[in-house]
Amino acid sequence: MQPQIIGELVNLLGPGAVLSHAEDLMLYEYDGSVELGKPECIVFPSTTREVSEIVRLANRYEIPLVGRGAGTGLSGGAIARSGGIMIVFSRMNRILEIDEANLRAVVQPGLVNFDLSRAGEHLNLYFAPDPSSQKACTIGGNVSENSGGPHTLAYGVTANHVTGLELVLPDGEIVRVGGKNIETSGYDLGGLFVGSEGTLGLVTEITVRLMRKPEAVKTLLAVYDTLDDTTETVVDITVRAITPAACEMLDGFTLRAVEDFVHAGFPKDCAAVLLIEVEGLTESVEAQASAITEVCRLHRAREVRVARDQRERDLLWKGRKNAFGALGRLSPMYYVQDGVIPRTRLPETLRRIEEISHKYNLQIGNIFHAGDGNLHPLILFDQRDRAEFGRVVAAGNEIMRQCVDVGGALTGEHGIGMEKNELMPLIFSSDDLEVMARVRAAFNPHGRLNPGKVLPMGKACGEIRVHPIPVATTAPA
Amino acid sequence: MSHHAQLALTRMEEIVGAAHVFTEFAEIASRRVDGISPSVVVRPADTAQISEILRFAASERLAVIPCGGGTKLGIGSPPSHYEIALDLSRLNRVLAYDPKDLTLGVEPGVRMAELARVLAEQKQFLPLAVPFADRATIGGIVAANSSSPLRHAYGAVRDFCLGMEFVTGEGVVAKSGGRVVKNVTGYDLHKLLIGSLGTLAVITRVNFRTFPLPPAQGTFVATFSGAAAAFGFCRAIAHSVLTPQVMEVADPGASHVLFSANTPARIAPRAWSVVISAAGQPEVVDRHGRELGHMSGKAGAEEFFRLEEGEARSVFTGLCEFPRLILDSAPSAAIFRIGIVPTAMGGLLGELATVAGRNRFDLVTLTRASGIIYAAVLPKEGETPVTAAIAKVAQEVFETCGESRIEASAMLEWCPPDVKIAIGGAWGPSRQDFALMKRVKYSFDPKGVLSPGRFSGGI
Repeated sequence: MQPQIIGELVNLLGPGAVLSHAEDLMLYEYDGSVELGKPECIVFPSTTREVSEIVRLANRYEIPLVGRGAGTGLSGGAIARSGGIMIVFSRMNRILEIDEANLRAVVQPGLVNFDLSRAGEHLNLYFAPDPSSQKACTIGGNVSENSGGPHTLAYGVTANHVTGLELVLPDGEIVRVGGKNIETSGYDLGGLFVGSEGTLGLVTEITVRLMRKPEAVKTLLAVYDTLDDTTETVVDITVRAITPAACEMLDGFTLRAVEDFVHAGFPKDCAAVLLIEVEGLTESVEAQASAITEVCRLHRAREVRVARDQRERDLLWKGRKNAFGALGRLSPMYYVQDGVIPRTRLPETLRRIEEISHKYNLQIGNIFHAGDGNLHPLILFDQRDRAEFGRVVAAGNEIMRQCVDVGGALTGEHGIGMEKNELMPLIFSSDDLEVMARVRAAFNPHGRLNPGKVLPMGKACGEIRVHPIPVATTAPA
Repeated sequence: MSHHAQLALTRMEEIVGAAHVFTEFAEIASRRVDGISPSVVVRPADTAQISEILRFAASERLAVIPCGGGTKLGIGSPPSHYEIALDLSRLNRVLAYDPKDLTLGVEPGVRMAELARVLAEQKQFLPLAVPFADRATIGGIVAANSSSPLRHAYGAVRDFCLGMEFVTGEGVVAKSGGRVVKNVTGYDLHKLLIGSLGTLAVITRVNFRTFPLPPAQGTFVATFSGAAAAFGFCRAIAHSVLTPQVMEVADPGASHVLFSANTPARIAPRAWSVVISAAGQPEVVDRHGRELGHMSGKAGAEEFFRLEEGEARSVFTGLCEFPRLILDSAPSAAIFRIGIVPTAMGGLLGELATVAGRNRFDLVTLTRASGIIYAAVLPKEGETPVTAAIAKVAQEVFETCGESRIEASAMLEWCPPDVKIAIGGAWGPSRQDFALMKRVKYSFDPKGVLSPGRFSGGI
């Protein structure tokens, strides 16, 4: 990047808020996905005004821009695909207000997700979206990706919890959409922005709903000898219209790695387990827990265990939330998928994934949000073996195709980013994509903000497709 | 008929067949919007025909307003022009219903009442307990983002709509979202269409998640002598562990509307009432009854009681149909829909009462405790106010809502067309993000043929 531009950024933000040395840039060339792309300069603004000034400067010099929170994303959303300036929000990490009476919080984008729930704890309030990376990922990133997590089964994803945003548009203008009110007249621009993967504007302030902690919680662990019994249980729970707060599945393969790592007491000889949580009033929790136990037994669960206390509950969840990390013990690398399917198609889809694993001679683990049909097959591999990586990509695409064939979607919570943007035509027609591109252009007419994400890169757009180079991934949702 | 109109008519007949094109007075009159009649009513059979109609309309710059049951054509600002009424009543199929997956895909012309029957057979429902339920169609409910008391527990359309198919102002058939319950694939364009009053695209399919009907329900009423105590009670509930499905505050006028049908004796004439329903296991409902009774006593309630089943149904219908009930008795009422935070509700209602009073109007309000006030400004009994008088009070309501310490977001959902014209539309003062909305409008409908003028700021 021209020294003159870096000089201007230093003048604007101060020398401590701009990085441009090669060794610094390297640290920001990856996120939690298997993608890479190096920014030419990294800036750390402290105010919305500064963000706006940076954007105006980038426009003057016609340089690409990308926003970034903690870089835990799993689809390359926060990677500088075309170089340019990376805006990192780690200095805008304050809670501006907790409005207890109205159950709202106003926060800056760099705030770590879990820190908000922790700040609400003394008031018995929390922020419901709980991606597995919640101790690292930021709320700005959650807004960009419309992040989920295990408990979104009952409480919804980030979009359901955001009521207002302050934005810096790609031309530098500062705009507010929504606020604390549950509805604001006019188009639901906030609804469009949440999940737009940082391609429509930079989010500089977020107003979210806080939820009251439930009176009672029960966590059940159901243990199975076959995969089919496990998936049939999930189908049956859905059919009977029981709505647990979370319903997670871990297969035996991943479970063994997890147990060696966290020692939560997961049985190591089973085919799979379901980790099910019910929340609410004591009466409702009791009724739901016994209904779920009955369904599990009906489908030949070998054992249904109820966590006795908070410590046991935490241990079970620790196993779930650290599962991806635990798989690092078995393989140097893994590639995680995020397909979604109708829940009734779970048994056949899991069988299909097993076939694909045999076909390509790859180990595939399954740890996922079974209750809402959001799969996370993890394909293990060694990046030094180039031939194997080719099989990994082919197997991944075949799993994705299976999800699409049964009426599903490419991603439930990780985003399209630069990982799946070329797969968008599997779901969307060229007309669908054209309308999306037009709406994006209404906000981001020069495509300078987060280029090369979400939509397929047309041949005409002059951007260079960077071939994905695998790196180790961090814990996803 | 002008040459231009004749050309349009011929083209419409070519696209949908002469049997589905109407120019008779009765048909035209039933699709009138704010006193403005279309030249023609067209009833397409499918998405492909809608696409062709819109392509033609865009090339000829003819304004198209989509409609279904016709119950909400009065919402929004008067159209700047209006040639084609696009009647979607033939797109009335349930396209996909997978009760085991709790997902649903429907065409826009399906009536809510009919859909509710289909879902009830599987012991499921959509939490859209909206006004005009007998005639309202899904397309209209979504396009107007109709408000439902069940929002308290289930959220609004944006929270359980999974995806849509639609036709843009240029006739492009497109979709966003999908049919699965969790999905971040692509831009959520369908969220923009919710509440857009047909100004961005014609909705041709909506996918929803459905919900299981609860095994038991109970409806409870607490009455109070004033607003402060009623809202204090709501705050106490919101900060408790209880999980009500519905929580609404009716002022004395609204209480009269809700309760007079069945039980005139149950509610004291000047009382504010709080209506709460709980659902779930019978033990859960019983517990709500016990604790609400206790909490209402602490909040200073005059009375607390559980409604009988028939009575509960009638009161619930009253909550859903509130705007319609007001309009039935006072056609010149101006009914505002106001988004507001709970702590500001009591204060705003007080100020609105002052505004109404000094203009010699009555005020009747129903408040969804999670954040929406329906405020109806009505002529006093026996008086027939002139347009200018209603316009003045409406203007003052907008000003009061807009004051920065309140920060309420108001729209004038129902009022006589001449009042809307007098105050420059139904949307109040322009918002800061209006320029952005205009850009969104342009990206869907560059020729400006879809419901022109009906939306905020003349979009």
